[in-house]
Amino acid sequence: MSLIYEMLKPDFLLHHAVWGSIVVGFVCPLVGVYFVLRRLVFWGVALPQVSASGIAFAFMLQGLGLNFLAGNESQEKHLAIVGALIFTVGTILVLAALERRGAGLSEGRIGALYALAWAASILFVAWNAAGETEMLGLLKGEIVSISEADFHAMLDIFGAVTACMFLFQREFTLVSYDRDMAVTLGRNVLVWDVLLYLIIGVTISLGVMTVGPLVIFGFLVIPPLAALPWARGMASLSILSSLLGGLSAFAGFYLSFTRDLPLGPVVIGIACGVYALSSTARLIVPKSLC
Amino acid sequence: MKKAASEPLIRFKNASLGYGKAPVLTKVDLDIAPGSFWGILGHNGSGKTTILKTMLGLIPCLRGELAEHGGLFGKPRFGYVPQKERLDPLYPLTSRAVTAMGTYRKLDLLQRLRGAGHDDIVNRCLADCGATHLAERRLSDLSGGQKQRVLIARALAAEPEILVLDEPLAGIDITTQHALLKLLKDLKDQHSLTILMVSHRVSAEKGLFTDVAWVDEGRVTTGPSTAMFASGKISEVFKSEL
Repeated sequence: MSLIYEMLKPDFLLHHAVWGSIVVGFVCPLVGVYFVLRRLVFWGVALPQVSASGIAFAFMLQGLGLNFLAGNESQEKHLAIVGALIFTVGTILVLAALERRGAGLSEGRIGALYALAWAASILFVAWNAAGETEMLGLLKGEIVSISEADFHAMLDIFGAVTACMFLFQREFTLVSYDRDMAVTLGRNVLVWDVLLYLIIGVTISLGVMTVGPLVIFGFLVIPPLAALPWARGMASLSILSSLLGGLSAFAGFYLSFTRDLPLGPVVIGIACGVYALSSTARLIVPKSLC
Repeated sequence: MKKAASEPLIRFKNASLGYGKAPVLTKVDLDIAPGSFWGILGHNGSGKTTILKTMLGLIPCLRGELAEHGGLFGKPRFGYVPQKERLDPLYPLTSRAVTAMGTYRKLDLLQRLRGAGHDDIVNRCLADCGATHLAERRLSDLSGGQKQRVLIARALAAEPEILVLDEPLAGIDITTQHALLKLLKDLKDQHSLTILMVSHRVSAEKGLFTDVAWVDEGRVTTGPSTAMFASGKISEVFKSEL
């Protein structure tokens, strides 16, 4: 117990890492709920990888001597976030436009995008003349070296994302569940869709910088899937998913720290364990009690 | 400006309707008068839903005139009941939450921050549709007829002038069909509604229609229901059901 208390204290050596992981664990499922309900789970696989390729691209530009934004280490990270944001939001908007038009095979598109994003990440790293090790660390998600100011800015942004997800939950649910009804009620479906996609883009971009693409995919999809059988509405689905994500992150960090294991796989393993438990319990517990 | 009593809520005049640039229906002339009960009939794929989507503003009128009159900035307020299969059962929504969606037009941000809702409207609409006992159950767990009642309650929560129903009786047993039709008749009288109902078949609902639009081979033929059902074409197609 005392170690858990120590880990949460501000003077803990990995204070940013532990709180960053927990916050990402709480926030990502809030947007991931819409990936699951809109049956866009594969977006959750591809977009974090696209975000990672955006980070790699930004670092490659710096490696090639195009230091138009970056100077010190902190600015390099800002540029990486900008790269991740542009790649992620741009990709979401293109994917959404194609979905609306109903053109082509959606799964095929996402599969190709995922492969391309992986390939691009590797190529951008290979072309980067400087700092390959540090960049690989960032691609995996390293929050240890983040400055205090940037850490608090990240918390503020995730706080704003959480507020938006709850404040506009009715609109996001309406346009996701029944677009035609939303139009007949005079709602601007496109505006609400774009707002949701922007929030998703920001969350994924910041999240990938914090814990890496693999963990972000896990946080986006697994907690909502585990929470879904037990939810009695959108608010309960969001809160339950968020709690499962945050607790998985903390438990993962604890295990990783005490057993000297890599953080990402441990977190994903715990989240999947929770999902398996939830699915098993759902089979056992009578439907009338859910 | 108050509309004249005889002024139609919706008027299509020589309109072409369809998706993209390709019209599915041409030369559509249709006047939806207040208080009427329209049956929009035709085969599967004939273009019935195209008329409905154009009215609701989901797709644009390609050519010709679409004039609307009503209480929502000059347009009629619609209550829309989609085909129940279109709504994804994955969403963990109770009947109350689904019905409340009908009120989302009215909620502003300040009201929401104060935690204010429209519980009274939701409760009343569920009660009007005989669905109060279903309020806390998941929509996806309900039978076809029960779902339809909740979706009608949701449409009513929008306080509509026109209730638009897309194949509301599809996949529902005869007894439930009769109960739903009685419900629609009662609601029409109680709320002074204009009703449009799309159907690819005709059975018990025939007696409720005041007017019929027959959609076939890219054309729409309209008229009073008695005259339309007496004409050869509809009788021939629906002879087993009439």
